[in-house]
Amino acid sequence: MIINVLVGIGIAFFAFVLQTSVAGLNRKIVGRLQKRIGPRWYQEFIDIFKLLSKRSVSHGWIFDFGVIMALGGIIGTAMFMPITSNIVAFQDYDNFFIFVYLLAVGMLGMAMSASGSGNPWASIGVMRALTTMLAYEVPFLIVVLTIINLSGTSSMTGIQIFQQTAGNNWFILALPLGGIVGFIALMGMLGKKPFETYIAPAEIASGPMVEYGGKQLGMLFILHEISVWIEVTLFVHLFLGGATNIFEFLIKYFAVYTLANLISNVNGRFKIDQVVTFFYKWPLLMAVTQAVIAIYFGWVI
Amino acid sequence: MLSTKFTPATKLSKAEIDRKWWEIGDFFRRNSLWLLMYCTGCCAIELPPAMTSAYDMERLGMGPMATPRQADILLVSGYLSLKTLRRLIYTYEQMSEPRYVVALGSCPINGGIYHDSHAVINQLDQYIPVDVYVAGCMPNTEAVMNGFVDLMDQIKHKTANGWKKYHANFEWYKENQRNSLGEVDVHDEFHE
Amino acid sequence: MASIEYLILILVGASFLAYLFTKLNTYLGSVFTILATMFVFASLAGYGFGMGLDTTVNYLPWFTFNQTYLGFYFVIIIAFVYLMVSFFHPYYLGQYKYKDSYNMLFLLSLAGIIGAFYTDNFLQLFFFFELIIWTTMFLIPQGKSREAAVSYFGFSVAGSVAMLIGIFLIFSSTGQLDITSGLAAISGTNAIIVFILFLIAGFAKLGAFPLHIWLPIAHGNAPHPFSPVLSGALVKLGAFIGILALVRIVPTANLLVDSINLPLGQWLVAILGSISIVFGTLMAIKEDDAKKLLAYSSMSHGGYILVAFSLMNSVAFAGGFYHILAHAIASAAAFMAIAAVARATGTTKMKELGGMIHKMPITYLAYLVAIISMAGIPPMGGFISKWLIFMAVINKGMIFVAIAIFFGSVGSFLYVFRPLAALFLGQEFREYKHVKEAPIMMLIPTFILMGLNVYTGVFPSFILNFINNILGELGYAALNVTSSSIINVFDGQGILNPALISLVFAVGVFIAFIIFILLKKSRSVSLMDTYTAANFVHDEHLLHYSVDFYAPLERLYEKHTNWMTKFYESLAKKVKEIGNLGKYLFMSKNIGTTMLWIITIIILLLWGVAL
Repeated sequence: MIINVLVGIGIAFFAFVLQTSVAGLNRKIVGRLQKRIGPRWYQEFIDIFKLLSKRSVSHGWIFDFGVIMALGGIIGTAMFMPITSNIVAFQDYDNFFIFVYLLAVGMLGMAMSASGSGNPWASIGVMRALTTMLAYEVPFLIVVLTIINLSGTSSMTGIQIFQQTAGNNWFILALPLGGIVGFIALMGMLGKKPFETYIAPAEIASGPMVEYGGKQLGMLFILHEISVWIEVTLFVHLFLGGATNIFEFLIKYFAVYTLANLISNVNGRFKIDQVVTFFYKWPLLMAVTQAVIAIYFGWVI
Repeated sequence: MLSTKFTPATKLSKAEIDRKWWEIGDFFRRNSLWLLMYCTGCCAIELPPAMTSAYDMERLGMGPMATPRQADILLVSGYLSLKTLRRLIYTYEQMSEPRYVVALGSCPINGGIYHDSHAVINQLDQYIPVDVYVAGCMPNTEAVMNGFVDLMDQIKHKTANGWKKYHANFEWYKENQRNSLGEVDVHDEFHE
Repeated sequence: MASIEYLILILVGASFLAYLFTKLNTYLGSVFTILATMFVFASLAGYGFGMGLDTTVNYLPWFTFNQTYLGFYFVIIIAFVYLMVSFFHPYYLGQYKYKDSYNMLFLLSLAGIIGAFYTDNFLQLFFFFELIIWTTMFLIPQGKSREAAVSYFGFSVAGSVAMLIGIFLIFSSTGQLDITSGLAAISGTNAIIVFILFLIAGFAKLGAFPLHIWLPIAHGNAPHPFSPVLSGALVKLGAFIGILALVRIVPTANLLVDSINLPLGQWLVAILGSISIVFGTLMAIKEDDAKKLLAYSSMSHGGYILVAFSLMNSVAFAGGFYHILAHAIASAAAFMAIAAVARATGTTKMKELGGMIHKMPITYLAYLVAIISMAGIPPMGGFISKWLIFMAVINKGMIFVAIAIFFGSVGSFLYVFRPLAALFLGQEFREYKHVKEAPIMMLIPTFILMGLNVYTGVFPSFILNFINNILGELGYAALNVTSSSIINVFDGQGILNPALISLVFAVGVFIAFIIFILLKKSRSVSLMDTYTAANFVHDEHLLHYSVDFYAPLERLYEKHTNWMTKFYESLAKKVKEIGNLGKYLFMSKNIGTTMLWIITIIILLLWGVAL
């Protein structure tokens, strides 16, 4: 058990290092797109360590406790996530719903801490984040329902192995509509434009993060990197057939994150009610259509 | 000649360890300077070229931030009326330490073209410590970028100590603020 | 040797003693109530788990009792909620108008509950139900409004009348009043009617759509210590009736879609449960009163219970039973936290409150743990029940029900967070500077409930094993649970290890704590020293975001929320009109008209007799 926990901590650390580097590379790529040189690829590391080195302010115990709970929840979630179909800390126990709901502990901690700062903008940001969550989660979970129903397992490793078995396609090919919904939902989860409504730096002063500086903000950055890793990895494992070795994983991961980031950079921002109406219109319709034809009619490519 | 191989490990004192950590921190701090732009005057127009593809501030690890809690540099771009000075001081005091102040243009240095106005202050460093001045009315974008590089050099050589000065001479700064503004933290903001 | 009859008689006796003691001294009477409830709970817990209660009847003629695992599961949960709530009595009763009778009615309703779940006879079930309804009906108006009691009573009576007709129908067609054999014997069209009638009773008690109107009114206006009982305990009666109908009667065997594999009746109940979930969630998001918000959340959770019990497989049933427990604990804890705040501040409106965490940190923690469970987030009990229900729905491939349960689950993050943000967190209001943490006696149940919320989420094996006994009794396969709480459903379609999740979460928090503690200490600033775009704000009310918290979301559906209320209002109007017609016809001031009617009726009756 101790070995497993250590492996889990290793996975969480790997998640942090990988996503921070990939995010840095993506800043570089976006810079090049905009005819800029862009920052160094390790700029994100520098930012985080700088924040950790600064002396911040604290608005009382809940402000700090929320941050600890949030980062703890996210690290815990990352520990369950398999990197490939063989590298997993807790074999058999990597149930899909853990990732949705243990991630929510982290989000709850962050929301609590942000509201505890007493800043109205933070509360507005939390409100928007929760509303966005209500929007993207339902279509996404319907697609996942289809996947679990078809593959007969809700373990992340199991779903990967199901797709890797000969005769089965990756779910993005087997369920094309579902794959599109999954990707749109991923954009929502990552808070990429056009669903960036809850950060909105120019509008509500970066929403939940308005009162953070120094180590609390640094910890939230670490939290953000790890949660992005979890979300993108969920997409890779659910739709892109997972990975059999680490290089395959790295390639798929980089491709998915970069694509999301590029789409994000040519979009504006939705209003929060537009986010909700958007997700409950086309993605939900597509997800339900996909589920009906896949489960009731059995038409799976 | 003493052998360097077997010199006994000298135990570092706490002050030395702190200094070492501080130097490591300085490396990160000078390579990731986040700005809070207090765009009061015309010099703010120099910032878009500094951020976008012409000069690309991000290659130095710099970027705009939304709130004072997150930012490292308070960027004062232009003249400061008494009303805005109040808010500037409030913002400065909300920033996380270490914090730096960069002032653009000649207005914060000597009042610039507003030097004889009754409502505009002449010298910013009477009220809050300024680490880098970028002179000019208005300064070129090259000069602005140069100012940022200067600040990085100062951080490297541990001379960007404005925030420490503010603590050391707190009473003096407060005295100046009170003399010019009366009450800094106004209670009746709509009728001040 | 504890006997059910003795327990009921003791409670009835104790209720009269409680009346006398409360008349002497409120505090004394309340402490006596605590002791009486504790005695009953202890005897139930001590003997009931092994079905060791004595069912013989010596003093109550015509009454028969029988112990079942199903009944005991409900009794122990409800008695526990009663015990927890009774600790609040000494601090609240003083303010009520008819405080003498409060403790008496409270204990009498507990007697009714023990009777209702231990009886094996339909008529007794009806009797005890009425006992519960009548006693609690007089408790509710001691709170804010009398109309609340009317609404509660109206819907409850509608439910019990439906149940009574169902009982008569069973008796007339099978000649049995025994619950188990009566329900098993009924068949054909009668079975469908009884199914519907019993479900009406269940829906009315559970507050599920479309019979939910009373729920927020009664919960929101009931006395503060009684709301936890309503939500944690009394609505579970509806679940019990619902189980009787859904599990014991399968009226039609025709399947709607082969791949759903569910009888039509059950499928319709699942859809109604889904509507309850969505409707409750949307209304809770919109609500400003913290107690009404939790009431709507009870409605939404009632929907989960209905969905679970309509799925006809043991995983869903286990999820439903576990949800009853998890929701009872979480909801009682949340209502009690709000009650503690209301005691200190005198209001439950969220827009009038703020920053209570700095005054009442333990109450805050209790509420936090409760809502984590309510929202179905690990490591609390609600996660396990919701997970079981999710797995069952996914296995059945019920897409539209799935939309509702996922919506309700994510929506619950929204509404449970709102009291947290608006009431406990945020700016500290100057008018509540004097507020202090609740007294130690009120913190005892708070701590117990907090511990149980965590226990149900970390080590569910004991409770799930007990649920397996119930499943066996109902004729379903047991859930696969190991002694170390690893749950395996549908042959490996889902494996959950709650203890491991908690361990990993703890490890994560530990790492985060290490990172936090190693770094430079923060400078502590006041709540008012916050980023306001450098404006000087000195009024904390201006910096507290709590009114219309989810305004952009509410705007999308607020026009469509009250059609159900309007329907009931117009129904009430119609009933009133019919009543007025009757009044006009029969109660005329003209004595001749009245006489005419009386004579006509007598002639008709005689004619009927002659026939």
